[in-house]
Amino acid sequence: MRAPSYWQASLRIFELSLGEMLWSRRTIFMALVVGSPVLLAGVIRAIEAAGIAGFRVESLRINGATIFGMLIWVLYLRFIVPVLGIFYGTALIADEIEDKTITYLFTRPIPRGAVLVGKYLAYLTCTILVVLPSVMLVYFLLVPIGSASLVSSFPSLVTDLGLLALGLAVYGSLFGFVGARLKRPVVFGLVFAFGWEQAALIFPGYLRRFTVAYYLQALVPHAMPEQSTLGAVQALFRDAPSGLVSLAWLALFWLGFLFLAARTVERREYVLEQ
Amino acid sequence: MTATAQPLVEATTLSKWYGQVIGLNDVTVSVPAGVTGLLGPNGAGKSTFMKLMTGQLKPSKGTIAVFGEPIWGHPHLFFRIGFCPEQDAFYESMTGLEWLTGLLRLNGLDEKSATTAAQHSLVTVDLVEAADKKIGSYSKGMRQRVKLAQAIAHDPALLILDEPLAGMDPIGRRKTIRLIKDWARAGKSVIVSSHILHEIEAMTSNILLIHNGRILAEGDVHQIRDLIDEHPHTVYIRAQHPRELARTFLEHDDVLSLKVESDAVVVQTARPDAFYSRLTDLAASSESGEIAEITSPDDNLQAVFQYLVK
Repeated sequence: MRAPSYWQASLRIFELSLGEMLWSRRTIFMALVVGSPVLLAGVIRAIEAAGIAGFRVESLRINGATIFGMLIWVLYLRFIVPVLGIFYGTALIADEIEDKTITYLFTRPIPRGAVLVGKYLAYLTCTILVVLPSVMLVYFLLVPIGSASLVSSFPSLVTDLGLLALGLAVYGSLFGFVGARLKRPVVFGLVFAFGWEQAALIFPGYLRRFTVAYYLQALVPHAMPEQSTLGAVQALFRDAPSGLVSLAWLALFWLGFLFLAARTVERREYVLEQ
Repeated sequence: MTATAQPLVEATTLSKWYGQVIGLNDVTVSVPAGVTGLLGPNGAGKSTFMKLMTGQLKPSKGTIAVFGEPIWGHPHLFFRIGFCPEQDAFYESMTGLEWLTGLLRLNGLDEKSATTAAQHSLVTVDLVEAADKKIGSYSKGMRQRVKLAQAIAHDPALLILDEPLAGMDPIGRRKTIRLIKDWARAGKSVIVSSHILHEIEAMTSNILLIHNGRILAEGDVHQIRDLIDEHPHTVYIRAQHPRELARTFLEHDDVLSLKVESDAVVVQTARPDAFYSRLTDLAASSESGEIAEITSPDDNLQAVFQYLVK
Protein backbone atom coordinates (compact mmCIF):
# COMPACT_ATOMS: atom_id res chain seq x y z
CA MET A 1 0.00 0.00 0.00
CA ARG A 2 1.23 3.50 -0.83
CA ALA A 3 0.43 6.46 1.37
CA PRO A 4 -1.99 8.85 -0.32
CA SER A 5 -0.43 12.19 -1.25
CA TYR A 6 -1.35 15.27 0.78
CA TRP A 7 -3.90 16.29 -1.82
CA GLN A 8 -5.37 12.76 -2.15
CA ALA A 9 -5.63 12.48 1.62
CA SER A 10 -7.43 15.84 1.75
CA LEU A 11 -9.88 14.73 -0.93
CA ARG A 12 -10.59 11.49 0.94
CA ILE A 13 -11.24 13.38 4.15
CA PHE A 14 -13.50 15.65 2.10
CA GLU A 15 -15.47 12.64 0.81
CA LEU A 16 -15.76 11.26 4.34
CA SER A 17 -16.86 14.58 5.85
CA LEU A 18 -19.18 16.14 3.29
CA GLY A 19 -22.22 14.00 4.04
CA GLU A 20 -21.74 14.37 7.81
CA MET A 21 -21.46 18.13 7.43
CA LEU A 22 -24.46 18.47 5.10
CA TRP A 23 -26.73 16.50 7.41
CA SER A 24 -25.56 18.02 10.67
CA ARG A 25 -27.64 20.16 13.03
CA ARG A 26 -25.55 23.11 11.92
CA THR A 27 -27.11 22.85 8.46
CA ILE A 28 -30.52 23.66 9.94
CA PHE A 29 -29.02 26.82 11.37
CA MET A 30 -27.45 27.60 8.00
CA ALA A 31 -30.76 27.01 6.21
CA LEU A 32 -32.44 29.48 8.56
CA VAL A 33 -29.71 32.05 8.01
CA VAL A 34 -29.75 31.85 4.21
CA GLY A 35 -33.51 31.37 4.10
CA SER A 36 -34.23 34.73 5.70
CA PRO A 37 -33.19 36.89 2.69
CA VAL A 38 -35.26 34.62 0.43
CA LEU A 39 -38.25 35.14 2.69
CA LEU A 40 -37.63 38.87 2.74
CA ALA A 41 -37.34 38.96 -1.05
CA GLY A 42 -40.60 36.99 -1.30
CA VAL A 43 -42.38 39.51 0.92
CA ILE A 44 -41.07 42.47 -1.10
CA ARG A 45 -42.12 40.77 -4.31
CA ALA A 46 -45.58 40.08 -2.90
CA ILE A 47 -45.98 43.71 -1.83
CA GLU A 48 -44.94 44.88 -5.29
CA ALA A 49 -47.27 42.39 -6.96
CA ALA A 50 -50.15 43.58 -4.81
CA GLY A 51 -49.36 47.13 -5.96
CA ILE A 52 -49.47 48.40 -2.39
CA ALA A 53 -46.50 50.74 -2.67
CA GLY A 54 -43.17 50.92 -4.38
CA PHE A 55 -40.17 49.98 -2.27
CA ARG A 56 -38.46 53.16 -1.06
CA VAL A 57 -35.33 54.06 0.82
CA GLU A 58 -35.70 57.47 2.50
CA SER A 59 -38.48 58.43 0.05
CA LEU A 60 -36.41 57.42 -2.97
CA ARG A 61 -38.15 54.87 -5.16
CA ILE A 62 -35.70 52.09 -5.93
CA ASN A 63 -35.87 49.18 -8.33
CA GLY A 64 -35.39 45.47 -7.70
CA ALA A 65 -31.75 45.39 -8.85
CA THR A 66 -30.86 48.03 -6.23
CA ILE A 67 -32.71 46.15 -3.49
CA PHE A 68 -30.84 43.03 -4.55
CA GLY A 69 -27.54 44.93 -4.38
CA MET A 70 -28.39 46.16 -0.88
CA LEU A 71 -29.12 42.64 0.28
CA ILE A 72 -25.84 41.37 -1.15
CA TRP A 73 -23.89 44.16 0.48
CA VAL A 74 -25.60 44.45 3.86
CA LEU A 75 -27.01 41.02 4.51
CA TYR A 76 -24.90 38.49 2.66
CA LEU A 77 -21.41 40.01 2.72
CA ARG A 78 -21.56 41.77 6.07
CA PHE A 79 -23.59 39.20 7.98
CA ILE A 80 -24.28 35.80 6.43
CA VAL A 81 -20.82 35.07 5.04
CA PRO A 82 -18.93 35.94 8.27
CA VAL A 83 -21.50 34.08 10.40
CA LEU A 84 -21.17 30.93 8.32
CA GLY A 85 -17.40 31.31 8.35
CA ILE A 86 -17.44 31.54 12.14
CA PHE A 87 -19.81 28.69 12.90
CA TYR A 88 -18.44 26.26 10.31
CA GLY A 89 -14.81 27.34 10.15
CA THR A 90 -14.21 27.18 13.90
CA ALA A 91 -15.88 23.76 14.04
CA LEU A 92 -13.74 22.05 11.39
CA ILE A 93 -11.53 20.37 13.98
CA ALA A 94 -13.45 21.31 17.15
CA ASP A 95 -16.44 19.12 16.22
CA GLU A 96 -14.23 16.07 15.70
CA ILE A 97 -12.53 16.75 19.03
CA GLU A 98 -15.84 17.23 20.84
CA ASP A 99 -17.36 14.12 19.26
CA LYS A 100 -14.08 12.24 19.90
CA THR A 101 -14.06 10.96 16.31
CA ILE A 102 -10.74 12.67 15.54
CA THR A 103 -8.95 9.54 16.82
CA TYR A 104 -9.99 7.59 13.74
CA LEU A 105 -8.51 10.25 11.45
CA PHE A 106 -5.33 10.88 13.42
CA THR A 107 -4.46 7.17 13.50
CA ARG A 108 -4.29 6.84 9.72
CA PRO A 109 -1.18 7.09 7.53
CA ILE A 110 -1.95 10.62 6.37
CA PRO A 111 -0.59 14.00 7.45
CA ARG A 112 -2.78 15.58 10.13
CA GLY A 113 -2.88 18.83 8.16
CA ALA A 114 -4.72 17.00 5.37
CA VAL A 115 -7.57 16.38 7.83
CA LEU A 116 -8.03 20.13 8.21
CA VAL A 117 -7.73 20.80 4.48
CA GLY A 118 -10.23 18.05 3.61
CA LYS A 119 -12.73 19.28 6.15
CA TYR A 120 -12.23 22.84 4.92
CA LEU A 121 -13.05 21.72 1.36
CA ALA A 122 -16.19 20.05 2.70
CA TYR A 123 -17.14 23.28 4.49
CA LEU A 124 -16.63 25.32 1.33
CA THR A 125 -18.68 22.94 -0.82
CA CYS A 126 -21.41 22.72 1.78
CA THR A 127 -21.79 26.47 2.30
CA ILE A 128 -21.48 27.32 -1.38
CA LEU A 129 -24.14 24.73 -2.21
CA VAL A 130 -26.53 26.42 0.21
CA VAL A 131 -25.63 30.12 -0.10
CA LEU A 132 -25.42 30.48 -3.88
CA PRO A 133 -28.87 29.00 -4.64
CA SER A 134 -30.29 31.33 -1.98
CA VAL A 135 -28.70 34.33 -3.74
CA MET A 136 -30.08 33.20 -7.09
CA LEU A 137 -33.57 32.86 -5.64
CA VAL A 138 -33.34 36.36 -4.20
CA TYR A 139 -32.10 37.61 -7.57
CA PHE A 140 -34.97 36.10 -9.52
CA LEU A 141 -37.48 37.38 -6.99
CA LEU A 142 -36.19 40.94 -6.76
CA VAL A 143 -34.52 42.01 -9.98
CA PRO A 144 -37.66 41.98 -12.18
CA ILE A 145 -39.21 44.58 -9.82
CA GLY A 146 -39.29 48.03 -11.39
CA SER A 147 -38.73 46.67 -14.91
CA ALA A 148 -35.03 45.96 -14.42
CA SER A 149 -33.65 43.56 -16.99
CA LEU A 150 -32.51 40.12 -15.83
CA VAL A 151 -30.19 39.87 -18.83
CA SER A 152 -28.43 43.18 -18.29
CA SER A 153 -27.87 42.58 -14.58
CA PHE A 154 -26.77 38.96 -15.03
CA PRO A 155 -23.01 39.76 -15.19
CA SER A 156 -23.23 41.47 -11.81
CA LEU A 157 -24.99 38.37 -10.41
CA VAL A 158 -22.05 36.25 -11.56
CA THR A 159 -19.69 38.69 -9.84
CA ASP A 160 -21.82 38.52 -6.68
CA LEU A 161 -21.71 34.73 -6.66
CA GLY A 162 -17.95 34.72 -7.13
CA LEU A 163 -17.55 37.33 -4.42
CA LEU A 164 -19.64 35.36 -1.93
CA ALA A 165 -17.69 32.19 -2.70
CA LEU A 166 -14.47 34.12 -2.17
CA GLY A 167 -15.81 35.53 1.10
CA LEU A 168 -16.76 32.06 2.33
CA ALA A 169 -13.31 30.79 1.35
CA VAL A 170 -11.41 33.57 3.14
CA TYR A 171 -13.54 33.69 6.30
CA GLY A 172 -13.53 29.88 6.40
CA SER A 173 -9.73 29.66 6.31
CA LEU A 174 -9.36 32.48 8.87
CA PHE A 175 -11.79 30.89 11.32
CA GLY A 176 -10.46 27.42 10.51
CA PHE A 177 -7.13 28.64 11.83
CA VAL A 178 -8.79 30.25 14.86
CA GLY A 179 -10.65 26.98 15.58
CA ALA A 180 -7.47 24.93 15.32
CA ARG A 181 -5.53 27.33 17.54
CA LEU A 182 -7.85 28.70 20.23
CA LYS A 183 -10.01 27.18 22.93
CA ARG A 184 -13.00 29.52 22.53
CA PRO A 185 -12.93 30.15 18.81
CA VAL A 186 -16.59 31.14 18.36
CA VAL A 187 -16.30 33.99 20.85
CA PHE A 188 -13.16 35.21 19.12
CA GLY A 189 -14.86 34.88 15.73
CA LEU A 190 -17.90 36.89 16.76
CA VAL A 191 -15.76 39.61 18.32
CA PHE A 192 -13.60 39.73 15.19
CA ALA A 193 -16.42 39.85 12.63
CA PHE A 194 -18.95 41.98 14.48
CA GLY A 195 -16.69 43.99 16.76
CA TRP A 196 -13.31 44.54 15.26
CA GLU A 197 -14.28 44.54 11.55
CA GLN A 198 -17.23 46.89 12.08
CA ALA A 199 -15.21 49.30 14.17
CA ALA A 200 -12.06 49.25 12.06
CA LEU A 201 -14.03 50.01 8.90
CA ILE A 202 -15.55 53.13 10.40
CA PHE A 203 -12.31 54.69 11.61
CA PRO A 204 -10.24 56.41 8.97
CA GLY A 205 -6.64 55.28 8.61
CA TYR A 206 -4.87 52.01 8.06
CA LEU A 207 -6.69 49.83 10.64
CA ARG A 208 -9.29 48.73 8.10
CA ARG A 209 -6.54 46.99 6.15
CA PHE A 210 -6.52 44.39 8.89
CA THR A 211 -10.02 43.24 8.07
CA VAL A 212 -11.37 40.89 5.44
CA ALA A 213 -14.49 43.01 4.89
CA TYR A 214 -12.41 45.99 3.68
CA TYR A 215 -11.13 44.04 0.67
CA LEU A 216 -14.37 42.18 0.05
CA GLN A 217 -16.60 45.23 -0.15
CA ALA A 218 -14.19 46.89 -2.56
CA LEU A 219 -15.26 44.25 -5.03
CA VAL A 220 -19.04 44.72 -4.61
CA PRO A 221 -20.45 45.76 -8.00
CA HIS A 222 -23.62 47.43 -6.68
CA ALA A 223 -24.05 51.11 -5.91
CA MET A 224 -26.53 52.33 -3.29
CA PRO A 225 -28.88 55.24 -4.05
CA GLU A 226 -26.54 58.21 -3.93
CA GLN A 227 -28.66 60.50 -1.75
CA SER A 228 -29.59 57.89 0.85
CA THR A 229 -27.93 57.14 4.17
CA LEU A 230 -26.87 53.76 2.82
CA GLY A 231 -25.28 55.51 -0.12
CA ALA A 232 -23.36 57.76 2.26
CA VAL A 233 -22.26 54.78 4.36
CA GLN A 234 -21.18 52.95 1.25
CA ALA A 235 -19.29 56.01 0.10
CA LEU A 236 -17.48 55.99 3.45
CA PHE A 237 -16.60 52.35 3.02
CA ARG A 238 -15.76 52.92 -0.62
CA ASP A 239 -12.39 54.25 0.43
CA ALA A 240 -11.00 50.97 -0.73
CA PRO A 241 -8.15 49.57 -2.77
CA SER A 242 -8.47 48.62 -6.41
CA GLY A 243 -10.04 45.32 -7.38
CA LEU A 244 -6.70 43.77 -8.20
CA VAL A 245 -5.13 44.77 -4.90
CA SER A 246 -8.19 43.50 -3.02
CA LEU A 247 -8.06 40.19 -4.85
CA ALA A 248 -4.36 39.84 -4.10
CA TRP A 249 -4.86 40.50 -0.37
CA LEU A 250 -7.84 38.18 -0.15
CA ALA A 251 -5.85 35.43 -1.88
CA LEU A 252 -3.02 35.99 0.58
CA PHE A 253 -5.39 35.80 3.57
CA TRP A 254 -7.05 32.72 2.15
CA LEU A 255 -3.94 30.69 1.46
CA GLY A 256 -2.02 32.10 4.41
CA PHE A 257 -4.63 31.20 7.02
CA LEU A 258 -5.29 27.83 5.42
CA PHE A 259 -1.58 27.06 5.60
CA LEU A 260 -1.39 28.22 9.23
CA ALA A 261 -4.48 26.18 10.15
CA ALA A 262 -3.06 23.01 8.57
CA ARG A 263 0.31 23.59 10.24
CA THR A 264 -1.35 24.10 13.62
CA VAL A 265 -3.28 20.83 13.33
CA GLU A 266 -0.08 19.10 12.23
CA ARG A 267 1.82 20.22 15.32
CA ARG A 268 -0.75 20.69 18.05
CA GLU A 269 -1.65 18.01 20.54
CA TYR A 270 -5.40 17.61 21.06
CA VAL A 271 -6.37 16.07 24.38
CA LEU A 272 -9.81 14.47 24.36
CA GLU A 273 -11.80 14.91 27.54
CA GLN A 274 -12.39 11.66 29.39
CA MET B 1 8.88 -12.10 28.99
CA THR B 2 10.20 -13.18 25.62
CA ALA B 3 13.11 -11.13 24.37
CA THR B 4 13.08 -10.07 20.72
CA ALA B 5 15.56 -8.22 18.54
CA GLN B 6 13.39 -5.14 18.34
CA PRO B 7 10.57 -4.42 20.75
CA LEU B 8 7.25 -3.38 19.26
CA VAL B 9 6.93 -0.46 21.61
CA GLU B 10 9.76 1.00 23.61
CA ALA B 11 9.19 3.71 26.20
CA THR B 12 12.09 5.40 27.92
CA THR B 13 11.49 7.55 31.02
CA LEU B 14 8.14 8.37 29.45
CA SER B 15 5.94 10.84 31.31
CA LYS B 16 2.77 12.61 30.40
CA TRP B 17 1.00 15.21 32.46
CA TYR B 18 -2.12 17.23 31.83
CA GLY B 19 -1.49 20.50 33.65
CA GLN B 20 -1.13 19.47 37.28
CA VAL B 21 -2.43 15.94 36.71
CA ILE B 22 0.06 13.16 36.02
CA GLY B 23 -1.20 10.69 33.43
CA LEU B 24 1.94 8.61 33.11
CA ASN B 25 4.98 8.82 35.32
CA ASP B 26 8.53 7.96 34.28
CA VAL B 27 7.73 4.72 32.49
CA THR B 28 10.53 2.69 30.95
CA VAL B 29 9.28 -0.47 29.34
CA SER B 30 9.65 -2.63 26.23
CA VAL B 31 6.66 -4.41 24.78
CA PRO B 32 7.63 -7.56 22.88
CA ALA B 33 5.90 -9.16 19.89
CA GLY B 34 2.86 -11.33 20.66
CA VAL B 35 -0.12 -10.46 22.82
CA THR B 36 0.48 -8.15 25.75
CA GLY B 37 -2.19 -7.17 28.24
CA LEU B 38 -2.18 -3.78 29.88
CA LEU B 39 -3.98 -4.26 33.16
CA GLY B 40 -4.95 -1.58 35.64
CA PRO B 41 -7.93 0.04 37.30
CA ASN B 42 -9.76 2.98 35.74
CA GLY B 43 -7.63 6.11 35.82
CA ALA B 44 -4.39 4.10 36.12
CA GLY B 45 -2.93 5.55 32.92
CA LYS B 46 -3.79 2.77 30.43
CA SER B 47 -5.52 5.05 27.96
CA THR B 48 -2.81 7.71 28.27
CA PHE B 49 -0.16 5.08 27.53
CA MET B 50 -2.15 3.85 24.52
CA LYS B 51 -2.65 7.39 23.23
CA LEU B 52 1.10 7.96 23.52
CA MET B 53 1.89 4.76 21.66
CA THR B 54 -0.55 5.74 18.89
CA GLY B 55 0.90 9.22 18.53
CA GLN B 56 -2.24 11.02 19.64
CA LEU B 57 -0.39 12.57 22.54
CA LYS B 58 3.07 14.02 22.65
CA PRO B 59 5.28 12.89 25.57
CA SER B 60 5.83 15.56 28.21
CA LYS B 61 9.14 13.89 28.97
CA GLY B 62 11.01 10.87 27.64
CA THR B 63 10.47 9.04 24.39
CA ILE B 64 8.23 6.40 22.91
CA ALA B 65 9.03 4.46 19.75
CA VAL B 66 6.90 1.99 17.82
CA PHE B 67 8.67 -0.39 15.42
CA GLY B 68 11.84 1.49 16.33
CA GLU B 69 10.59 4.94 15.28
CA PRO B 70 9.08 7.79 17.29
CA ILE B 71 5.36 7.67 16.62
CA TRP B 72 4.57 11.38 17.05
CA GLY B 73 4.76 13.04 13.63
CA HIS B 74 5.32 9.76 11.76
CA PRO B 75 1.89 8.85 10.37
CA HIS B 76 3.32 6.29 7.91
CA LEU B 77 3.60 3.92 10.90
CA PHE B 78 -0.18 3.60 10.85
CA PHE B 79 0.08 1.29 7.85
CA ARG B 80 1.31 -1.23 10.42
CA ILE B 81 -0.88 -0.21 13.36
CA GLY B 82 -4.58 -0.66 13.95
CA PHE B 83 -6.10 1.20 16.89
CA CYS B 84 -9.43 0.57 18.58
CA PRO B 85 -10.10 3.46 20.99
CA GLU B 86 -12.06 3.23 24.20
CA GLN B 87 -14.57 5.97 23.45
CA ASP B 88 -17.97 5.19 21.96
CA ALA B 89 -17.69 7.76 19.15
CA PHE B 90 -18.79 7.37 15.55
CA TYR B 91 -20.17 9.15 12.49
CA GLU B 92 -23.66 8.09 13.49
CA SER B 93 -25.37 8.79 10.17
CA MET B 94 -23.00 6.60 8.14
CA THR B 95 -23.51 2.90 7.64
CA GLY B 96 -20.88 0.52 8.99
CA LEU B 97 -19.71 -0.29 5.47
CA GLU B 98 -19.49 3.36 4.41
CA TRP B 99 -17.52 4.27 7.51
CA LEU B 100 -15.02 1.44 7.15
CA THR B 101 -14.60 2.08 3.43
CA GLY B 102 -14.01 5.78 4.06
CA LEU B 103 -11.37 5.05 6.68
CA LEU B 104 -9.67 2.43 4.50
CA ARG B 105 -9.45 4.97 1.68
CA LEU B 106 -7.28 7.00 4.05
CA ASN B 107 -4.93 4.02 4.14
CA GLY B 108 -4.34 4.46 0.43
CA LEU B 109 -6.78 1.84 -0.87
CA ASP B 110 -8.82 2.56 -3.98
CA GLU B 111 -12.61 2.46 -3.74
CA LYS B 112 -12.97 -1.15 -4.86
CA SER B 113 -10.20 -2.57 -2.66
CA ALA B 114 -11.44 -0.51 0.29
CA THR B 115 -14.98 -1.84 -0.08
CA THR B 116 -13.70 -5.42 -0.34
CA ALA B 117 -11.46 -5.03 2.72
CA ALA B 118 -14.29 -3.37 4.67
CA GLN B 119 -16.69 -6.21 3.84
CA HIS B 120 -14.09 -8.78 4.84
CA SER B 121 -13.52 -6.99 8.11
CA LEU B 122 -17.26 -6.88 8.84
CA VAL B 123 -17.45 -10.62 8.21
CA THR B 124 -14.59 -11.13 10.68
CA VAL B 125 -16.42 -9.29 13.45
CA ASP B 126 -19.71 -10.95 12.55
CA LEU B 127 -21.42 -7.74 11.51
CA VAL B 128 -22.05 -8.37 7.85
CA GLU B 129 -25.84 -8.29 8.21
CA ALA B 130 -25.69 -4.81 9.70
CA ALA B 131 -23.22 -3.51 7.10
CA ASP B 132 -25.79 -1.28 5.41
CA LYS B 133 -27.45 -0.04 8.59
CA LYS B 134 -26.58 3.31 10.10
CA ILE B 135 -24.13 3.10 12.98
CA GLY B 136 -26.53 5.24 15.01
CA SER B 137 -28.93 2.29 15.07
CA TYR B 138 -26.31 -0.24 16.30
CA SER B 139 -26.46 -1.80 19.76
CA LYS B 140 -23.59 -1.28 22.19
CA GLY B 141 -22.05 -4.62 21.29
CA MET B 142 -22.33 -3.92 17.55
CA ARG B 143 -20.68 -0.55 18.03
CA GLN B 144 -17.78 -2.22 19.82
CA ARG B 145 -17.46 -4.70 16.98
CA VAL B 146 -17.52 -2.10 14.20
CA LYS B 147 -14.86 -0.17 16.12
CA LEU B 148 -12.76 -3.32 16.19
CA ALA B 149 -13.44 -3.83 12.48
CA GLN B 150 -11.91 -0.45 11.59
CA ALA B 151 -8.78 -1.40 13.53
CA ILE B 152 -8.24 -4.73 11.77
CA ALA B 153 -9.51 -3.81 8.30
CA HIS B 154 -6.12 -2.84 6.85
CA ASP B 155 -4.48 -5.99 8.26
CA PRO B 156 -1.96 -4.25 10.52
CA ALA B 157 1.02 -5.98 12.12
CA LEU B 158 0.17 -4.47 15.49
CA LEU B 159 -3.29 -4.07 16.98
CA ILE B 160 -3.70 -1.68 19.90
CA LEU B 161 -7.03 -2.22 21.63
CA ASP B 162 -8.27 -0.02 24.45
CA GLU B 163 -10.88 -1.90 26.52
CA PRO B 164 -12.25 -3.74 23.46
CA LEU B 165 -14.61 -5.98 25.46
CA ALA B 166 -16.32 -3.23 27.43
CA GLY B 167 -20.09 -3.46 27.07
CA MET B 168 -20.07 -6.57 24.89
CA ASP B 169 -22.44 -9.46 25.48
CA PRO B 170 -20.87 -12.84 26.46
CA ILE B 171 -20.99 -14.24 22.94
CA GLY B 172 -19.38 -11.09 21.54
CA ARG B 173 -16.69 -11.31 24.19
CA ARG B 174 -15.93 -14.90 23.37
CA LYS B 175 -15.70 -14.12 19.64
CA THR B 176 -13.50 -11.09 20.20
CA ILE B 177 -11.15 -13.02 22.44
CA ARG B 178 -10.93 -15.72 19.79
CA LEU B 179 -10.24 -13.08 17.13
CA ILE B 180 -7.38 -11.64 19.19
CA LYS B 181 -5.89 -15.07 19.74
CA ASP B 182 -6.18 -15.90 16.03
CA TRP B 183 -4.51 -12.59 15.25
CA ALA B 184 -1.55 -13.57 17.41
CA ARG B 185 -1.45 -17.08 15.92
CA ALA B 186 -1.09 -15.49 12.49
CA GLY B 187 2.20 -14.01 13.70
CA LYS B 188 0.88 -10.53 14.41
CA SER B 189 0.90 -8.63 17.68
CA VAL B 190 -1.71 -7.17 19.98
CA ILE B 191 -1.55 -4.79 22.92
CA VAL B 192 -4.85 -4.90 24.75
CA SER B 193 -5.96 -3.00 27.82
CA SER B 194 -8.54 -3.91 30.41
CA HIS B 195 -9.34 -3.39 34.06
CA ILE B 196 -10.51 -7.00 34.31
CA LEU B 197 -7.86 -9.63 34.87
CA HIS B 198 -10.15 -12.40 33.73
CA GLU B 199 -10.45 -10.78 30.30
CA ILE B 200 -6.73 -10.25 29.89
CA GLU B 201 -6.01 -13.73 31.13
CA ALA B 202 -8.27 -15.19 28.46
CA MET B 203 -6.11 -13.55 25.80
CA THR B 204 -2.55 -13.69 27.08
CA SER B 205 -0.34 -14.53 29.99
CA ASN B 206 2.01 -11.63 29.31
CA ILE B 207 0.88 -8.52 31.16
CA LEU B 208 1.94 -5.05 32.20
CA LEU B 209 0.43 -3.94 35.49
CA ILE B 210 -0.21 -0.23 35.56
CA HIS B 211 -1.34 1.85 38.50
CA ASN B 212 -1.21 5.59 39.24
CA GLY B 213 0.65 6.23 36.01
CA ARG B 214 3.44 3.76 36.76
CA ILE B 215 4.20 0.26 35.52
CA LEU B 216 4.11 -1.78 38.72
CA ALA B 217 5.04 -5.12 37.26
CA GLU B 218 5.50 -6.90 33.98
CA GLY B 219 5.55 -10.57 33.20
CA ASP B 220 3.41 -13.63 33.66
CA VAL B 221 -0.20 -13.12 34.68
CA HIS B 222 -0.20 -16.21 36.90
CA GLN B 223 2.11 -14.52 39.35
CA ILE B 224 -0.64 -12.16 40.45
CA ARG B 225 -3.43 -14.59 39.86
CA ASP B 226 -3.55 -15.82 43.47
CA LEU B 227 -3.67 -12.29 44.77
CA ILE B 228 -6.63 -11.50 42.58
CA ASP B 229 -8.50 -14.59 43.68
CA GLU B 230 -8.31 -13.53 47.29
CA HIS B 231 -10.55 -10.58 46.48
CA PRO B 232 -14.19 -11.06 45.51
CA HIS B 233 -14.92 -10.14 41.91
CA THR B 234 -17.96 -8.01 41.14
CA VAL B 235 -19.90 -8.54 37.91
CA TYR B 236 -22.81 -6.42 36.68
CA ILE B 237 -25.11 -8.28 34.27
CA ARG B 238 -27.86 -6.44 32.39
CA ALA B 239 -30.43 -9.05 31.43
CA GLN B 240 -33.97 -9.59 30.20
CA HIS B 241 -35.02 -11.62 33.28
CA PRO B 242 -32.71 -10.66 36.15
CA ARG B 243 -34.66 -12.58 38.81
CA GLU B 244 -34.53 -15.83 36.87
CA LEU B 245 -30.84 -15.30 36.28
CA ALA B 246 -30.28 -14.65 39.98
CA ARG B 247 -32.01 -17.93 40.85
CA THR B 248 -29.65 -19.80 38.51
CA PHE B 249 -26.61 -18.13 40.06
CA LEU B 250 -27.65 -19.09 43.57
CA GLU B 251 -27.32 -22.76 42.71
CA HIS B 252 -23.52 -22.37 42.80
CA ASP B 253 -21.37 -21.90 45.88
CA ASP B 254 -18.84 -19.51 44.26
CA VAL B 255 -21.45 -16.74 44.33
CA LEU B 256 -20.80 -14.77 47.49
CA SER B 257 -23.55 -12.18 47.20
CA LEU B 258 -26.31 -11.11 44.85
CA LYS B 259 -28.24 -7.90 44.25
CA VAL B 260 -31.20 -7.84 41.88
CA GLU B 261 -32.05 -4.54 40.15
CA SER B 262 -34.90 -3.76 37.76
CA ASP B 263 -32.96 -4.83 34.66
CA ALA B 264 -29.74 -6.24 36.09
CA VAL B 265 -28.06 -8.51 38.62
CA VAL B 266 -24.91 -7.55 40.49
CA VAL B 267 -22.94 -10.61 41.60
CA GLN B 268 -19.89 -11.02 43.79
CA THR B 269 -18.03 -14.21 43.00
CA ALA B 270 -15.00 -15.88 44.53
CA ARG B 271 -14.12 -17.73 41.33
CA PRO B 272 -14.51 -15.43 38.32
CA ASP B 273 -13.22 -18.04 35.83
CA ALA B 274 -15.90 -20.56 36.65
CA PHE B 275 -18.53 -17.85 36.89
CA TYR B 276 -17.76 -16.29 33.50
CA SER B 277 -17.64 -19.68 31.87
CA ARG B 278 -21.12 -20.53 33.20
CA LEU B 279 -22.37 -17.11 32.20
CA THR B 280 -21.24 -17.54 28.60
CA ASP B 281 -22.98 -20.91 28.42
CA LEU B 282 -26.13 -19.37 29.90
CA ALA B 283 -26.06 -16.55 27.35
CA ALA B 284 -25.56 -19.00 24.49
CA SER B 285 -28.47 -21.18 25.61
CA SER B 286 -30.78 -18.22 26.43
CA GLU B 287 -32.27 -20.41 29.20
CA SER B 288 -32.69 -17.46 31.52
CA GLY B 289 -33.52 -14.91 28.86
CA GLU B 290 -31.24 -12.61 26.92
CA ILE B 291 -28.08 -11.23 28.52
CA ALA B 292 -27.48 -7.80 27.04
CA GLU B 293 -24.34 -6.55 28.72
CA ILE B 294 -21.68 -7.55 31.22
CA THR B 295 -19.48 -5.06 32.99
CA SER B 296 -17.14 -5.41 35.90
CA PRO B 297 -16.45 -2.54 38.26
CA ASP B 298 -12.78 -2.50 39.12
CA ASP B 299 -13.17 -2.48 42.92
CA ASN B 300 -11.61 -5.92 43.21
CA LEU B 301 -8.62 -4.99 41.07
CA GLN B 302 -8.23 -1.73 42.93
CA ALA B 303 -7.91 -3.72 46.15
CA VAL B 304 -5.17 -5.87 44.64
CA PHE B 305 -3.26 -2.81 43.45
CA GLN B 306 -3.53 -1.21 46.86
CA TYR B 307 -2.06 -4.39 48.27
CA LEU B 308 0.75 -4.40 45.66
CA VAL B 309 1.85 -0.81 46.27
CA LYS B 310 1.90 -1.12 50.06
